[in-house]
Amino acid sequence: MALPAYADRWERIWHWVYLTFCTLVFLFLLLPVLVVVPLSFNAEPYFSFTEGMLTLDPAAYSLRWYRDILQNGMADPTQLFSGWSWIGDAWANSQWIHAAKNSIVIAIGATILSTLLGTVAALGLSQSILPGRRLIMALLISPMIVPIIVTSTSLYFLFSEIGLANTYLGLIVAHAILGTPFVVITVTSTLSGFDRSLIRAGQSLGASPLVVFQRVIMPLILPGILSGALFAFGTSFDEVVAVIFLADYDQRTIPRQMWSGLREQISPTILAVATILVAMSILLLTVVELLRRRSERLRGLTS
Amino acid sequence: MEQGRSIVHFVNVGKTYDGERLIVDDLSLEIARGEFLTLLGPSGSGKTTTLMMLAGFETPTRGQILLNGQEINRLAPHRRGIGMVFQNYALFPHMTVAENLAFPLNVRALGKAEVEARVIRALDLVKLGGFAARRPAQLSGGQQQRIAVARALIFEPELVLMDEPLGALDKQLREGMQYEIRELHQRLGVTIVYVTHDQAEALTMSDRIAVFDQGKIQQLASPTELYEKPRTSFVANFVGDNNLMAAEVDTLRSDHLCSVVLEGGDKVIAVATDDLMPGQKVMLSLRPERLRLDPDAGAGTSSRLKGVIEEIVYLGDHMRIFVRTANQVRFLIKAANKEPHHGLTKGGMLTFGWSAQDCRALPV
Amino acid sequence: MTVTVVTSPDDSRSIKRELTRSLRRRKLQALVLVAPLLLFILFMFIYPIGGMLLRSVYSPDFARAMPATVAAIAEWPGSGTPPEAAWAGVASDMVALQQRNEAGPVAAALNVEMSGARSLVLKTARNAGKLTAPYREAMVTLDPMWNDARIWQAIKRLSSPVTPRFYLAAVDMKVDEAGSIVSQPEDRQIYRSLFLRTLLISGVVTLCCLILGYPVAHLLANLPLRISNILMIFVLLPFWTSLLVRTTAWIVLLQKQGVVNSLLVWSHVLTDETRAELIFNRTGTILAMTHILLPFMILPLYSVMKTVSPVYVKAARSLGANQFVAFTKVYVPQTFAGVAAGCLLVFILAVGYYITPALVGGESGTLISNMIAYHIQKSLNWGLAAALGAILLTAILALYWTFNRLTKIDIIGLG
Ligand SMILES: Nc1ncnc2c1ncn2[C@@H]1O[C@H](COP(=O)(O)OP(=O)(O)O)[C@@H](O)[C@H]1O
Ligand SMILES: [Mg+2]
Repeated sequence: MALPAYADRWERIWHWVYLTFCTLVFLFLLLPVLVVVPLSFNAEPYFSFTEGMLTLDPAAYSLRWYRDILQNGMADPTQLFSGWSWIGDAWANSQWIHAAKNSIVIAIGATILSTLLGTVAALGLSQSILPGRRLIMALLISPMIVPIIVTSTSLYFLFSEIGLANTYLGLIVAHAILGTPFVVITVTSTLSGFDRSLIRAGQSLGASPLVVFQRVIMPLILPGILSGALFAFGTSFDEVVAVIFLADYDQRTIPRQMWSGLREQISPTILAVATILVAMSILLLTVVELLRRRSERLRGLTS
Repeated sequence: MEQGRSIVHFVNVGKTYDGERLIVDDLSLEIARGEFLTLLGPSGSGKTTTLMMLAGFETPTRGQILLNGQEINRLAPHRRGIGMVFQNYALFPHMTVAENLAFPLNVRALGKAEVEARVIRALDLVKLGGFAARRPAQLSGGQQQRIAVARALIFEPELVLMDEPLGALDKQLREGMQYEIRELHQRLGVTIVYVTHDQAEALTMSDRIAVFDQGKIQQLASPTELYEKPRTSFVANFVGDNNLMAAEVDTLRSDHLCSVVLEGGDKVIAVATDDLMPGQKVMLSLRPERLRLDPDAGAGTSSRLKGVIEEIVYLGDHMRIFVRTANQVRFLIKAANKEPHHGLTKGGMLTFGWSAQDCRALPV
Repeated sequence: MTVTVVTSPDDSRSIKRELTRSLRRRKLQALVLVAPLLLFILFMFIYPIGGMLLRSVYSPDFARAMPATVAAIAEWPGSGTPPEAAWAGVASDMVALQQRNEAGPVAAALNVEMSGARSLVLKTARNAGKLTAPYREAMVTLDPMWNDARIWQAIKRLSSPVTPRFYLAAVDMKVDEAGSIVSQPEDRQIYRSLFLRTLLISGVVTLCCLILGYPVAHLLANLPLRISNILMIFVLLPFWTSLLVRTTAWIVLLQKQGVVNSLLVWSHVLTDETRAELIFNRTGTILAMTHILLPFMILPLYSVMKTVSPVYVKAARSLGANQFVAFTKVYVPQTFAGVAAGCLLVFILAVGYYITPALVGGESGTLISNMIAYHIQKSLNWGLAAALGAILLTAILALYWTFNRLTKIDIIGLG
């Protein structure tokens, strides 16, 4: 945004104030996320930069907190790295690995469930003939609006009654509930931009309805489905309130483990975990962005 | 027409979406093999509905549609083998131009080599040889239009439907494309059913034109006949400019001529298009370019009137002159810009006339 | 267009019947597609929420646990102490409770009504086996508190399964001994101020987000796409980063031994002794929540600003307005939809926030959600938790509904 040539002095000053302000906000957004990264390599158990770190002394940096991720909870944490027995111990007993396994299983389960249900529902919702469409839509996206504490406690009572409390299935169901609105929204909005004459064009060119679905409809709405699925995955992977109420140690997920870490024995290990999660979110962001661009290109919005 | 000549036959076809209003009303129409037939009519007159019933996207409420003598009322669209060009082109945005063109061939399981050869030939046909690898979004409107035409023709259907295919193009491109489509039709010999609401487009392109109004065919005729001999006042008004005047039949004469009285009392001679009765209300149709400014010069002028010039609009190749007679009847005259028309000034008096053959009395 | 009626009425009727049938078939098809998710949401989401909300007015547990007492006390008008039948009822119920080891919840429920009742109930239950008729004397001997009329009034209040007491408690009111509705004593009023604090903090967070987000969204919407796509990462990366990671980051930054304090000490603004309390209080909550919710403000603002054509501002300037007037009078009004959507989204999310206040809020920065969790997990006063939840939910739904009515904007599509 270049300033026009006729701008007067006040406009110039204002312009620079504005740009500086925006820069500060961008830093405010990004720096807190990034600050955990260098601190996670701290050799000391502090949450601040040591003298050594600031002078870039290699001795001030270490991977000890990353090692701790694996060792925390191991049957024999003093054991030096010694091949399979060490790996086996970490895989079986490390608290964080336990949490990671749970997070992945639950997130994948919730993603599959919510993507399936959400996509099929979006196909129905996109038909204007559906009776009570507004009401149904409002119901389907209500999990986004209801405060998570209300949802979690409600499910806590229900699950205690029907035996889903402290089970993987219970968590998958809970996270699927929280994830479906994203799938419904992304897929319906993809479908609403979908040009129905393409279906007729496909049929007039000799393709049966099945072929039209496979080769015309599916490729065009797939990016929408995938980004909905990614949203659902991210929601589940990041969710902690429902886990607090609906899981015990066996189903503990990464955010839940961080939650206890932050409340009980806060150690820089959490920073190491946080760094790994930041790396994951960068990956997720990249994938979503690529999908979005692909979908725009497909729909001919950009070339 | 025997079976071999007609490719499509609508037999008393009716269509309603809501069970009350007939969008297409008792339509009977035969389309000859190889002809270029245009459905012309104002927006909402049922043209698209007619086309969609033929393509199979709508089912007729009653009546029959025959394709090559076979009833196709309930045949699925993808089994009809009818090519179609959509108004918004409906090119698949996720496929390249070549993939779009190959689509109908692939679903028909043609061999790879055959598909490639045909795609190249089709691209050449529409003069877009170098564009095979582009996405539709990377083409201009006119180019997309041509690919859409090529895609509808590539599987060699006998019949191709086009629903306002040029509606989204600007005037210049539209005229170029009209010519190209017309040429393709002549070269390939396919039957084309073409929908438009633009009467000039219909007149330039078609072998025959069916004028639609309120779900009914008002007149089905060649462009010349439609222009020269409109049978209803709707057609006379919709196709080309016209002076339309309410009148009443006075006396019938020989040679299909009759004498009619205009509102206000002027008496003129007109062609009786139908079996008219004295005293019947009619609508007079008089093309503005057939009105003569110098009625005494040429032979054959049968009626003449006098009026005040209200407005002169200069249009380069011709002028439009608006005249009001003493009896308050308004006329539009188109005068070719051949020699300067001196003495024509706003507010001046003008005598004009026409030949009885050019004035048609249409029943209302 | 004139209406052409289908000729014969018979014909018309059969056509209509067929149309209705095909319409119904298509409606059914659409419904079948929607049904699985709809049923899933109805049974696993709406139904349990209904069930929980029911707890806020319906609490049969006490009556179920003390059947004999409830039956006997129904006759008692409520003044003085009840007749012997009620005493006997309590004694027999206590025996049963002790056998089933279920005296705890009853004690807890009664303790909410009258402090000190917990130990009374537990003690009586322990000794219930030894009580003999006449029960009045036996129980008063065991604990003279049984002679207090208020404990019997509390029992009578609890014996009715449908009760307004949770809602009253949620707004710091109660039914007093005389049966009239009064405010809680000053020192026991917490919920009204907690609701107020929740609204206040959410309001402040929303305002901060708007002030920080508006210029940034404006910048993003007006830069060339190539640059704004890159800058967008600054907004989207925090958006996609785990909530707990961001909360952790704020703890690391703001705690006493954290980065900000160390920086201030290092630059001699503070000394080691005067390190500032930046977190575990209201400031911490507001700061962290603003950071976490800011993307939810920027994204809707951005998508609305993207649609505002620069032509209007140019037109205003050509009509003689300076930059400031053109901006405030022409540009800003066109972005109100985005402002409304962003504010609503941020406010709704903030009002229901749980994790961040719990971790960085300390005493003064916790919100209503934290109190609900406390009553579910610690105090086990589920009815009160349900009432607080119901009020929170109603407020949010009302806000959302009003917004939809007023603006007809679909915030969901923008978010
Ligand atoms: N699917 C439909 N449902 C209900 N009414 C329709 C439908 N399609 C078209 N119509 C109505 O039928 C009439 C004719 O439409 P159409 O055939 O598209 O006319 P044209 O193509 O000549 O403009 C219009 O009044 C339109 O509103
Ligand atoms: Mg049409």
